[in-house]
Amino acid sequence: MVLFLNQFINGLGIGAIYALIALGYTMVYGIVKLINFAHGDIMMVGAYTAVILMVDLSVSFPVALVVSMLVCVLIGVVIERVAYKPLRESPRICPLITAIGVSYLLENSAQLLFSANPRPFPTVLSIPPIVIGGVNISFITLLTVVVSVLLMIALQYFVMTSRTGKAMRAVSEDMGAARLMGINVNITISLTFAVGCALAAIGAMLYCIAYPSVAPTMGMMPGLKAFIAAVLGGIGLIPGAMIGGFIMGIAESLTKGFVSSQLSDAVVYGILIIVLLFKPSGLLGKAQREKV
Amino acid sequence: MKRNLKSYVLNLSAVLLIYIVISSLIGTGAINKYYTGILIMIGINVIMTVSLNLTTGFLGELALGHAGFMSVGAFTAGVITKALVEQYGWNATACLPVSLLAGGLLAAVMGFLIGVPALRLKGDYLAIITLGFGEIIRVIIQNLQITGGASGISRIPRVNSFTLTYVLMILVIIVMFTLGRSRHGRAIISIRENSVAAEATGVSVTRYKIFAFTFAAFFAGIAGGLYAHQIGRVSAATFDFNKSIEYLVMVVLGGMGSITGSIIAASVLTLLPELLREFSDYRMLLYSIILIVMMLFRPKGLMGTAEFSLTFVWNSLFGWVRKLLKIQPKVKDTPKAGLTDESVKAGHEPIMPDLPAYPLQEGEPVLETRNLGIRFGGLHAAEEVNLRLYDNEIVGLIGPNGAGKTTVFNMLTGVYLPTDGDILLLGKSIVGQKTYEIVANGIARTFQNIRLFKSMTVLENVKVAFHTRMHYSPATGIFRLPRYVREEEGIDLRARELLRVFSMEDAADTPADGLPYGQQRKLEICRALASNPKVLLLDEPAAGMNPIETKELMETINLIRDRFHITILLIEHDMKLVMGICERIYVLNYGRVIAEGKPAEIRNNPEVVRAYLGHSDQTNKAQAELEAIRNGNA
Repeated sequence: MVLFLNQFINGLGIGAIYALIALGYTMVYGIVKLINFAHGDIMMVGAYTAVILMVDLSVSFPVALVVSMLVCVLIGVVIERVAYKPLRESPRICPLITAIGVSYLLENSAQLLFSANPRPFPTVLSIPPIVIGGVNISFITLLTVVVSVLLMIALQYFVMTSRTGKAMRAVSEDMGAARLMGINVNITISLTFAVGCALAAIGAMLYCIAYPSVAPTMGMMPGLKAFIAAVLGGIGLIPGAMIGGFIMGIAESLTKGFVSSQLSDAVVYGILIIVLLFKPSGLLGKAQREKV
Repeated sequence: MKRNLKSYVLNLSAVLLIYIVISSLIGTGAINKYYTGILIMIGINVIMTVSLNLTTGFLGELALGHAGFMSVGAFTAGVITKALVEQYGWNATACLPVSLLAGGLLAAVMGFLIGVPALRLKGDYLAIITLGFGEIIRVIIQNLQITGGASGISRIPRVNSFTLTYVLMILVIIVMFTLGRSRHGRAIISIRENSVAAEATGVSVTRYKIFAFTFAAFFAGIAGGLYAHQIGRVSAATFDFNKSIEYLVMVVLGGMGSITGSIIAASVLTLLPELLREFSDYRMLLYSIILIVMMLFRPKGLMGTAEFSLTFVWNSLFGWVRKLLKIQPKVKDTPKAGLTDESVKAGHEPIMPDLPAYPLQEGEPVLETRNLGIRFGGLHAAEEVNLRLYDNEIVGLIGPNGAGKTTVFNMLTGVYLPTDGDILLLGKSIVGQKTYEIVANGIARTFQNIRLFKSMTVLENVKVAFHTRMHYSPATGIFRLPRYVREEEGIDLRARELLRVFSMEDAADTPADGLPYGQQRKLEICRALASNPKVLLLDEPAAGMNPIETKELMETINLIRDRFHITILLIEHDMKLVMGICERIYVLNYGRVIAEGKPAEIRNNPEVVRAYLGHSDQTNKAQAELEAIRNGNA
């Protein structure tokens, strides 16, 4: 039971990070229907920015966090303008391919600049874990879960009530109609990318605090998992990303603890497949039918 | 067939020439072992790309797990060859046919098993689920004893050769070409173009999706087998998600739906990293930039859906030489498409498409609905609809917007399953049948918003609809057996004949979306007729037409009835058209039939007047329509 709880809490922690990254995927997908394969690499950019600031320039963590968020936002918006926007009217597979290209570009640039060797991420917090009846609750896990849940609620509130949020939802429903209602579609899309990338930077920090190592390809696996989480919950939906992220994290952690660490990927993908077969648009997604 | 002969000869000589040049260069040592290896990898990647093009380019479904099938083939072939050599003392080369085929077949089985559940999904969800299956295959192989666990298997006899790879590559390419030009290939492409219309012209969308998926997996398995015997060791980690993406990139850059594009892209993208070897540090960086720039400036890919044609090059080259030498080309009679004297002499007379028999009792309705109804949640979209359509009648179905007219059509064609009542076609119930089965049984339709196979030519659009009336198997199509030639000639004749009836034969070879609006509507009707229906359902055929086009349409509809001897049911808001050509009219409101009768009776029916005017929220349009009902010239 103790082992189970420990694994469960670990799973919550990693799930919260997946959820945070998944929010970025889901927002971008919701608005431009693009699987932004470069999203995980944006997270990597955020991690490197923070490492350089904190280790090489000895900047404090809060400043590093803000700067790396800004860097991620900038890169995200530039990528959208250069690589995705010109292809908005093309078949949807075209921006998908440029997204893959951008992902390779970021990874390989990082490799050239920082070499393939991983860099250690400095210790930010050294608060001992809380122990309740043999169950270890590390402070970091607690922090991760709280931060990501709060961010999710804030984001949902923002999207549902703010003027910009409404514009985002309008653009995602119908770009042409939104334009006719006086919404600046380009700026709205840029803003969506900005929000997603800022969240990716926060996710990067949490990820690096939990797994303190930064490498050019570090974004690949969490990126892919987060994306799967977004689909699992119902892509385009903010609560869906959250639920998907937690399910993925917990399933992965429990498989590692009780079955085999090698099979954890298979279990995660297995869950995805089963969910999609019974709920073809994810757990919270509504089935859409083509009108004849 | 003369044109075909020329292209056969040209392509065959090109294939042989390339082979002779390369293999003699390898023989003399001009191409060393290292470069031979690269050439072989090109061959393997061409097979992978061309086969993925079948699912992604032709069928139009994004598949992200193609490398998984390759690994199934690689491991199967590797394990079998090793076992046969080490335990039974076979000659390693002699194992190849067995193990390659086994690899391909097992991959195909996996493709089928994955395809059946996965292909129920659409678009991005399908992409993700194929990604999931691909990764699961990888993890399973990594954890199986027979495949050597995480380290994979090594010391597979390296008996692959350039000749073998080249021959198999050419075979796969030929099969893709011939499949693509058979009725089965047309069916697959029509699904990409418009799956709803494909189903409504008699193509079983599910069956062809699974067919394409399985077929592609088979070839990926073969490629995997070649790879295993080329490298000598395989580990599952090689065939991960990134490998699948690599092949997807090749397909898209080459042009989705273009086989020659795939060949070029696979060759270039396999060579490129080798050519960039000097800049080893910047190699991947350059690759990624090329990828982005290529896509930005040529989103269609290198070739789009077009194919590189040697015949075309040959002809234009000759034209150019002629011009240069000022030789007048001999004017030859262009052989008429289809029936030629030679083919008749050879006993190859075309087989005409089936003419389904529609046994009809005297006085019995062709199509009848009995208390037909459907509920969506609590909403009765249609209830107690009783229609009776008799032979060779033109019947109108009118009613205000939202009355449930299209819903009735959707039930008649099996798009919706009715919750109440029954539909009888020629006395037999068709409730519960799939759309494509209903088409084969004699109901064809057109759509409110035109659904053509846009990038296919006008002629091909019509040919797709002959699908249910033809019989040759995929194998017959792939190997171009006599039956294929004869049936194809038959439908070519019929399709052109049909186009001639609608005076569209001149547009036969233009892409469907290049037609003017009125012609597109006409083509949709023409396509519906190609399935030889007994009942034709027209959903707002005059929508968006100008008065001249509408008048032409009325003539067309009359012509269809007289010439094809069928029953027509049409939904229409243009009352001039309805009153002008319909013999009987049903009026639908709130899902119920509120009136039925001859145009004159409908015009003065108080119920109808109330339906169009009875509510305060009725628009001016309804009033105008009512006005038209009253004044419509019969």
